[in-house]
Amino acid sequence: MKLTRFEKARIIGARTLQLAMGAPPLIKVSKDMKDPMQIALKEFELGVIPITVRRRLPPKKEVGELL
Amino acid sequence: MVRVPPERFGEPLKETIEDILRRGYDYRGYTEGGYEGKLDKNLGVILAITKIIKIGEGKIVPGDGAVYHDVTFEALVFKPELHEVVEAEVVEVVNFGAFVRFGPLDGLIHVSQIMDDYIVYDKKREALIGKQTNRVLMPGDKVRARIVTISLNPDKKETKINLTMRQPGLGKLEWIEEEKKAMKEKAKEKVKAGGK
Repeated sequence: MKLTRFEKARIIGARTLQLAMGAPPLIKVSKDMKDPMQIALKEFELGVIPITVRRRLPPKKEVGELL
Repeated sequence: MVRVPPERFGEPLKETIEDILRRGYDYRGYTEGGYEGKLDKNLGVILAITKIIKIGEGKIVPGDGAVYHDVTFEALVFKPELHEVVEAEVVEVVNFGAFVRFGPLDGLIHVSQIMDDYIVYDKKREALIGKQTNRVLMPGDKVRARIVTISLNPDKKETKINLTMRQPGLGKLEWIEEEKKAMKEKAKEKVKAGGK
């Protein structure tokens, strides 16, 4: 699934927060990579983040409502 | 709904969730999970989490790095029922009655509900004594009693269960034996009288 820029931001953001709160990284982290955001971006590039997006359709509008 | 914090992501999910349900952990000042030993108004006392049936898909909510799972699980509970007869141990005797313990809960038997007799409180022996029958109730005694009122509260100290022993077949186990013997002898006499 191709992600929109918003979805991408949401996933990287959520993953960054997880890492900041102590989640173990899913990639090998060298010593100079200390920023959780950096790690999250790298993980995203490699496609190893196990997060999916649940897209919701907007609520259906009745024809009468539009008039 | 179980919150799995990020620092536990590396561990196997099922075990982690089981552990959170059992022991819980502190999160922003309150406890997440930790149901074992807890008292629920509708369920009673949760004694053990026995089985996890279903773990739902994890959800991430804005502002929190944790994952939330819907979890269905089985638990062993103790729920006192109204009019249930329980065997209990006397743990404390005070001037207004006796506190008894059955399983994970404590209840009170009021002085007026202990026996069909006038009762005096002996402060020195911490005992309730029947004036006519000379029956003594002290801490450590085993009794059989019926639950008459239940008021469960998440705070165990606020949970109130009242019991009675003023019914046939209830009371201290020794008294019940005495009554049984007396009944048998009466029955025997009756048979003898009938034979003549």
